[in-house]
Amino acid sequence: MALGRRWEGRHKALPLQEHDTGRWRLEGVEKHPRMFLHKALQEKKRKEIVMLHTLIRQELLSLMMSARFLAAVVITLLLVVANTVVLLDEHENRVASYRQQETIHRQKAEAAETYSFLELFVERPPNPLSLFSAGLDKRLGTTVEIYHGSVPTLSSMSSRSLENPYLNLFSQIDLVSIFQVVLSLLALLFAYDAIAGNWESGTLRLVISHPVRRGSILFAKYIAAMVCLLLPVLMSLLMVMIQLSLARSIQLNTDDFLRIGGISFTTIVYLSVFYLIGLLISTTTRRAATSLILCMFFWVVLVLVYPNWSRFTLNPVGDMHAEGRSASQQIEQIWEEADREEQRFLANSPLKGEPPEFYLGSSGFGLNQNSSASYRRARTRRFSTSIVDAASEPLVPHFQNYYAFVGATHIRLAEKAGLVSEQRLARIDIRRAVWDERLMKFSPASRYTFATSAWAGTDLNGMLDFSRATQGYRQTLIDYFQDKDAFASRLWFAYDQGAVDWWDLPRFRFARAGIWENAQRALADVSLLFLMNLVLFMVTFLIFIKIEV
Amino acid sequence: MILHIVQREFFDHLNSLRFALTAFIMAALMVTNAVVHLQSYPDEVREYSENVTAARNKLQSQTQLYSLLKKGPGELYKRPSPLTFVADGGEAFLPGSGTTDRGSWIRSTESGGSVNEIQGIWTLDYPTANPNARDLRPKANQIDWVFIITYLLSFIPLLFTFDALSGERESGTLRLCLANPISRPALLVGKFLGALITVLIPFYFAVLLNLAVISVDSWTQFGAADWGRLGMIVLIASGYAGIFIAVGLLVSAGTRDSRVSLVVLLITWVALVVFMPSTLGTLATKWMSPVQTVHQREMAKKSALGQLNADFDKKMWTKQKAQLQTDDLLNQLMALAKTSPEKAEELAKAKEEEFKAAVAKFESQKADEEELRLKAELVNKDAEIRERLNREHLTAQIVQVQRARGITRFSPAAIVQYALESMAGTGLNRHLQFLEGVHRHIRLLRHFIVDVDRADTESLHIVGIPEGMSKKPISSRALPTYEDKITFSETFNAAMVDMLLLLLLLGVFLLGAFLVFIRSDV
Repeated sequence: MALGRRWEGRHKALPLQEHDTGRWRLEGVEKHPRMFLHKALQEKKRKEIVMLHTLIRQELLSLMMSARFLAAVVITLLLVVANTVVLLDEHENRVASYRQQETIHRQKAEAAETYSFLELFVERPPNPLSLFSAGLDKRLGTTVEIYHGSVPTLSSMSSRSLENPYLNLFSQIDLVSIFQVVLSLLALLFAYDAIAGNWESGTLRLVISHPVRRGSILFAKYIAAMVCLLLPVLMSLLMVMIQLSLARSIQLNTDDFLRIGGISFTTIVYLSVFYLIGLLISTTTRRAATSLILCMFFWVVLVLVYPNWSRFTLNPVGDMHAEGRSASQQIEQIWEEADREEQRFLANSPLKGEPPEFYLGSSGFGLNQNSSASYRRARTRRFSTSIVDAASEPLVPHFQNYYAFVGATHIRLAEKAGLVSEQRLARIDIRRAVWDERLMKFSPASRYTFATSAWAGTDLNGMLDFSRATQGYRQTLIDYFQDKDAFASRLWFAYDQGAVDWWDLPRFRFARAGIWENAQRALADVSLLFLMNLVLFMVTFLIFIKIEV
Repeated sequence: MILHIVQREFFDHLNSLRFALTAFIMAALMVTNAVVHLQSYPDEVREYSENVTAARNKLQSQTQLYSLLKKGPGELYKRPSPLTFVADGGEAFLPGSGTTDRGSWIRSTESGGSVNEIQGIWTLDYPTANPNARDLRPKANQIDWVFIITYLLSFIPLLFTFDALSGERESGTLRLCLANPISRPALLVGKFLGALITVLIPFYFAVLLNLAVISVDSWTQFGAADWGRLGMIVLIASGYAGIFIAVGLLVSAGTRDSRVSLVVLLITWVALVVFMPSTLGTLATKWMSPVQTVHQREMAKKSALGQLNADFDKKMWTKQKAQLQTDDLLNQLMALAKTSPEKAEELAKAKEEEFKAAVAKFESQKADEEELRLKAELVNKDAEIRERLNREHLTAQIVQVQRARGITRFSPAAIVQYALESMAGTGLNRHLQFLEGVHRHIRLLRHFIVDVDRADTESLHIVGIPEGMSKKPISSRALPTYEDKITFSETFNAAMVDMLLLLLLLGVFLLGAFLVFIRSDV
C-alpha cells in the first residue's frame, strides 16, 4: 500500500527536524547525569509527540486523498441538501397550517355568546428543530381542546388539520437519520481496513518497527478518521444553516443554536462509536475482507435490524386491555358520581319541579333525565339562548345557582378523572413507549436518535411538557371563569342582556423546555455513548497491544 | 463454460463468511416474522369475524325499511389478508372499515301549527385512520417480508459483487481468467448467476423456514391461489436481488479500486433504498395541488347544504302560503254562506277557477303527499351532497397518494414494496379494491330498498321519509349482506406494472454492466 512508501520518506526527515531546533541544542548543554536522564526522557517524549503528529498527518492525508472519502462527502452533502429542501418545505406548510388553525380556534372562541358556549382549542406549535430530529413532533396530534370539565392529557391530542392521512404511508426522514445511516456506514468503511488492511499489506509491521508506541498508532488513526468524519458533518451543518437562513418560516434563537451544537456533539460521539467498533473488528481480524463483512454485518444489525426487531418482538408490556378498561370504568364511575350529586342538588332546589325537561325561553334547552349520562353531560355543557321569557325569568337565579354548582362539581371531578386517565397513560402508553425506548437503546444508532430528539425537544418529554402546558392553560381558564364568576352568572347560559366580551381571555403560550433541561435529558444517553467509546477504545487498545504483527 | 464459472463462483462464495452471516440473518429475521405473525394473526381474524357477525346481527335486527334506510348497513369491515406477514402495507394507516355515517341530523319544521321533524338518512363516510396521532411509541418498521427483501436482498448482493470484477482486477486473476478462451459476456453472466444463486439460496432457505413455521398454525390455511401468490412474491424478490447484483457488477466493472466500488455502491444503496422511498414521497406532494383541509371541507359542505336548505324553505313557504290562501278563501266562503247564501254563490261563481284550484289543493294537502315529496327530496339530496363531497375528498386524497407513489417508483425498493403489497393483498391497492366493493354493496342495498318499497302496494313510494315508505317488515334473509373478498386477478393486474418495471430495470443494469465490462481494461 501507499502508506508504507510515504512513511519511509517522512521518517528520514525526522531527526533533522529535531536537531535543527536551536532550543534543543541550548538545553543540551546541561551535563549533570540526572539531568541528562531527564533530558533523555524529555527527548523521548518529544520525539513521540512529533511522531504522533506525523502519524496523524499521514493517516489524515491517506484518508482524505482517497476516492471513497470524496464520494462519501459528495453524496452525504447531496442527500442533506435535498432532504433539507423537502423538510423545510414541509416545515413551512406546518407553520402555515399552525397559524391558520390558531386563527380558526380564536374565531371560534370569540364567536361564543355565552360562557358555556366557549369552544376553546389550542394548537401545538411546530418545533423548528424537528428538521433535525423529528421524534414525535410531526406524528402526534396537534390540537387539544381546553375545557374546564376535562383535564387534557397526551392522549387527548388530535390532528384536525391533517390534509391527507394517507400520506402517512410514507415514512418521515429527518437530518439526523441521514447522519445515523450514512455517516455510520462511512465510519465503518474508514475503519474496516485501518489495522487489518495494514496488517495484510505488511505496512503495520513496518510502522511498528520504528520507535513508536502502538497506542500512538491507534490514536493517530482514530484522530485522523474522526477529523475525516467531522468534515462531512460540519459541511452539511453549514449547508443546512445556509438553507435555514434563507427560509422565512424558521427563526432560531440562541438556545436553538446551542441545541444544534448539542446535536452535532452527539453526532460526533455517535460516529466515534461506530468508528471504534470498526477498529475493534479490524484489530481482531487478519484480513480486510473478513473485517469488512463483519463490519457490514454489525452495521446491518445495529442500524437496520435491531431497532425494528426489538420493538417488533421484545416489548415486555403485554396486553393492557384489561387495565385500560378498568380505568375507563373508573372514569365512568366518577361521572356517575357527578350525576348523582347533580340529582341531589336538583332535589333540594326549587327547580325540582321542572325536570325531566326544563326550558328557558323558546329555543329550548334543558336536562333530559331519560337519556344516558354521557349524553346528558354533553347536553349540559353548552347553552346559548337569547330569549328568556317571562315565565322562566323567576327561575333564572336558581339556574345560576345550579350552574355554579355544576361547574364546581365538574372541575373537581374532572381533576379526579384526569388523574385516572393520566395514570392510565403512564401505566400503558408511556410505559410501553419507555420500554421500547430502553430496548432499542441497546443499539447505539437508536440511542443516538433518542439523544438527539432529547436535544431537539421532540421526544416524549417534550410532548409531556406540552401536555402539562395545556393543563396549566385549563387552570388559567378556570381562574378566568372564577374571576368573572362566570359559572354563577346569567351569561353562562343566556345572552339576552348582551354577549360575552372575550377581550381579556388569556391566550395560550407554549415555551419549549430550556436548553439546560434539554441537555439534562440528553445527558444520560450522550454519556453512555461516550462511555461506550471509552470501553471500545480500551478494548481495541488492549487487543492491539497483544497482537502479533 | 458458463456453467463452470457459475460453479466456481458459487463454491467460492459458499465457503465465505458473508454467506454464513447472510444465511444467519435471513433465517433469524424470517423466523421472527413467522413467530410474530402466529401471535398476531389469529387475533386479527377473530376480531374481523366478531366485527362482521356483530354488524350482520345489527343489520338483520332492523325489520323496518325506513330504519334500514336511516341506519344503513352499519360498518363494513375489511378482511385481513392471510399474507399480511409478507407485506404489512401500512395497514395501520388504512382504515379497516368503511364506516357509515348514520343520518345524524334532525331538522324541525313547523307546518300547520304542529312541529314535525325531518331526519337525515344514512350516508357513506370514509373514516380515516391516523394511529400516529396517539401512538407514543418510537417509530419502527414492521419486520415483514417487504422489510427483509427491500433492505437485505439489496444490501447483501452488493456485498457479494462489489469486488467481483474490481477485486479480481486488483489481484490480477481477472487477466488470468480472460487469458483462457472465455468470452467476456460469458464471464459476466457466470459471475451474475453465481452471485444470484449464492444470494438466493439463503433467502429461499429462510423463506421455507418461515412458511414451515407459519403453516404449523391452523389459523393460516393457504389455498392454491395463496401459494401461487407466494410463488410470485419469491419470483419478484429474486428479480430484485438480480437488479442489485447487476448494479454491483456495473460499478465493480467501472472502478479500479474495490474499496471505491464498495463506497459508491453502499452510498447509492442508502440513497436508493433507505431514503428515496420516503423522501420522494414527501417531495412529490410539494408540487401537487393540495387536498382540501378539514376546515375547507367543512365550509364547502356547509355552503352546499345551506343552499339546499334555503331552497327547501322557500318551496315549503310558497306551498304553505298557497295553503293559507286556500284556507282564507274557504273561511271567507263559509262565513258568507252563514250570513247570505246568495252572495256566497256569487263569489263562488266569480272565483270558480280559483275555487276549484283551492279545492284541488285542499285535497292534495289532505294527502300531504306533496309536502312529503318535498321533504324526501331534501333528505335524499342532502345525503347525495354529503356523499358526493366525501367521495370527492377521498378521490383527491387517493390521487395525491397514487401520484406520490408513482414518483417514488424511481427507487427499485419502492417498486418491490408496491408489487409485494399488491401480491399479498395488503396496502393501498387492496384498500382501493375494498372501497370499490363497498361502493358496489351500497348501490345494491339502495336498489334493494327501492325494490322492496315498490313491491308494497300500500306504500306511497316516497323513499326518504318514514310516512312515505313501506311499513311491512322486511325479511332478514333477503337483505344483501356484505362480505369482503380478496381476488387474485385484480391484485395481479396492479402488480403487473411494477413487475414489468423491475424486469426493465434488471435488463438495463445488466446491459450497463455488460457494456462497461466490455469497454474496460483488464
